[in-house]
Amino acid sequence: MAALPQLVVSTLLLGGIYALIAVGLTLIFGIMRVVNFAHGEFLMLGMYLAFWAFALWHLDPYVVLVIALPVFFAVGLLSYWLVMQGVIKASHNVQIFTTVGLSIALQNAALVLWTGDYRFVRPWHASEVVRLGGAALNLSQIVAFAVAVAFTGGLMAFMKFTQAGRVMRATAEDREAATLMGIDTERVYRLAWTIGIVCVGVAGVLLSPVYTVYPQAGLQFVLLAYVVVVLGGLGDMRGALFGSLIVAAVETVGAYTLGIAWKEVLYFVLFILVLVFRPAGLFGQRGAETLGM
Amino acid sequence: MQRRIPVVAVAVLTLLAALPVATAQAQLKGEYKIGVLEPLTGPLSSEGKRHLAGYEIMRDLINARGGVMGKKLTFAIADIPNPTAAASEANRLIAREGVKILTGSFSSTLCGAASEAAARHNVIYWESSCVDPRFTRRGLKTTFRTEIDGIGFGWYQVEFAVKYVAPRLGKKPSELRVVFLSEDSSYGQGATEAARARAKKEFGMQELAAEYYNFQTINDFTPILIKFKQLNPDILFGISRNNDAILLWKQAKEQSFVPKAVITAGATGFGSPDFGKALGNDGNGPFALLEPGPGFKVDGLRPEGREIEAAFRAAVQKATGSYPLGGHQLAAGGLWLLKLVLDKAGTDELGAFRKAVFALDMPVGSLVNGWGAKFDETGQNSNDRVQHYMLQWQNGELVTVWPEQFTTNRTKWLPLPAWDQRK
Repeated sequence: MAALPQLVVSTLLLGGIYALIAVGLTLIFGIMRVVNFAHGEFLMLGMYLAFWAFALWHLDPYVVLVIALPVFFAVGLLSYWLVMQGVIKASHNVQIFTTVGLSIALQNAALVLWTGDYRFVRPWHASEVVRLGGAALNLSQIVAFAVAVAFTGGLMAFMKFTQAGRVMRATAEDREAATLMGIDTERVYRLAWTIGIVCVGVAGVLLSPVYTVYPQAGLQFVLLAYVVVVLGGLGDMRGALFGSLIVAAVETVGAYTLGIAWKEVLYFVLFILVLVFRPAGLFGQRGAETLGM
Repeated sequence: MQRRIPVVAVAVLTLLAALPVATAQAQLKGEYKIGVLEPLTGPLSSEGKRHLAGYEIMRDLINARGGVMGKKLTFAIADIPNPTAAASEANRLIAREGVKILTGSFSSTLCGAASEAAARHNVIYWESSCVDPRFTRRGLKTTFRTEIDGIGFGWYQVEFAVKYVAPRLGKKPSELRVVFLSEDSSYGQGATEAARARAKKEFGMQELAAEYYNFQTINDFTPILIKFKQLNPDILFGISRNNDAILLWKQAKEQSFVPKAVITAGATGFGSPDFGKALGNDGNGPFALLEPGPGFKVDGLRPEGREIEAAFRAAVQKATGSYPLGGHQLAAGGLWLLKLVLDKAGTDELGAFRKAVFALDMPVGSLVNGWGAKFDETGQNSNDRVQHYMLQWQNGELVTVWPEQFTTNRTKWLPLPAWDQRK
């Protein structure tokens, strides 16, 4: 029982990291019905942005966050125009192959430009630990968790209370009806993709003090992000946050009680159970499971 | 006139010094090409590039010393980021480049596939780095390994714990409370299972826990560190890859986990220079079983080993600005041994090559890294001839600390003190 406070804290902090990555993925899926296999690579680009800003100009990743917003807005728009626009009306298979291709292209571009060397971002707060009761909390992870909650809340409010959000939801529900109502669905997709990329780019910047930066850095998280998104409900922001916390809890408690080798077995069993018994996910919109996932 | 003499003398001496190399190179008749398979892209690319650099530096030294079989040694290099690429690139080098010998591959996840492909073409596969114990147990007549296998890693980890660490902790080996934490590839499992078996059966150590993890997906060690902290072990035996070691150690500090000693093995993870780069002085304390590092006494070697070892160190220092790292040394040690075998066999015909390999009987200290050579019938160099060394992270650098007769450095922080006292 002495370990309980630390296990709870670890779950929250790890869940925060997963949520940060998953929220952009679920937004893109929810609105566009596109499974973005290149999501991890945009995370990697965010990590490299933080690394180079730190290495060249000694900019703290939290300062880089401000720069990351417009940078990834531009990256999102550019990748949409160059890649996604052409396949947005194509079949799910074509979209999947396109994003897989984009993922491999980005990985290899990073490899050519920056080599496969491991890079480290070590600002003063990277190894700063806050001790609370019997638990130790890494400061960078606390910030990542806070930003994840803020992003999720912000996106939910955006979707619910703004005109753009309502338009996006309408498009997600029925694209043809939205078009008939005069909604520019092309613009909606472009916006959804771009916001999703901004979210994951920001996640990359925030995770750079916690994890090593290298061209395949996104791979270790992206599979988990899919699990989280399916578990929480495809396209559901609140589901992404709770799904992240559930996966993190399963991992943390499973690793502590059964052994660290079991953690993936456990959350994939949970993943399969959700797909079998509640295909739309714990919080998901009805019918999401019919979209080729 | 008097002032000219030193100038002339310097010129003559310079010419004389260059003569053996120039003569050796001039005498080389034709080229002899071998295939080199390395992971140059992907997660193992840093280590693969370092391994290749070791091969290239040693190739130049070999060519300056008569080449192989009187010919200039050249490479056909291929990138093998994963086992599928390892098999297909091995096939390509054999079919298109016509190589009769393949070498590489740094990793236990790659050497199996590459050597299977070589065996199908009856081409020699000369491994200088991977340590998967199964590699030489498949009955392949074409497969040879110069480095020790994972069992050797585990053997040495326990050897160090028993002979060096236990007395300094004031305990008998059977009183040591130990935990094992390893990545779960064939490399990690091979080495760790060997260490577990020896620790328990031969010395009766008290195993408190043994945990395996996937090094490609691990992103949090906290739960296992909480568990280990509660178990309060004397020794943590570890095998890791790269990022996993950095994350583990960073989180060990967050959790204030302080075992009395951390004993790891291999040129990856705790043995990689990235560990020091990422952690600086926070990395101080853990041990890593490796090839010799700073502090190594070259004069302890036999004359034939001393010359090539000194030349290799100087060449690496010149090329990279640093002491030869594990990857450099494994590749160079393996390639130098290949040269000796080819020179002895005079051919790459498999029968004659095997005969030359099995005829080798070189004591420790005869080769690069202070290695010796005595191959068994499976194509594996003997663990007791491939002398390994324990290095410790001290002030951001890995230095040789054991066996003490081979080094000028001494161990620090044993038992490990609190985190803020390892400066």
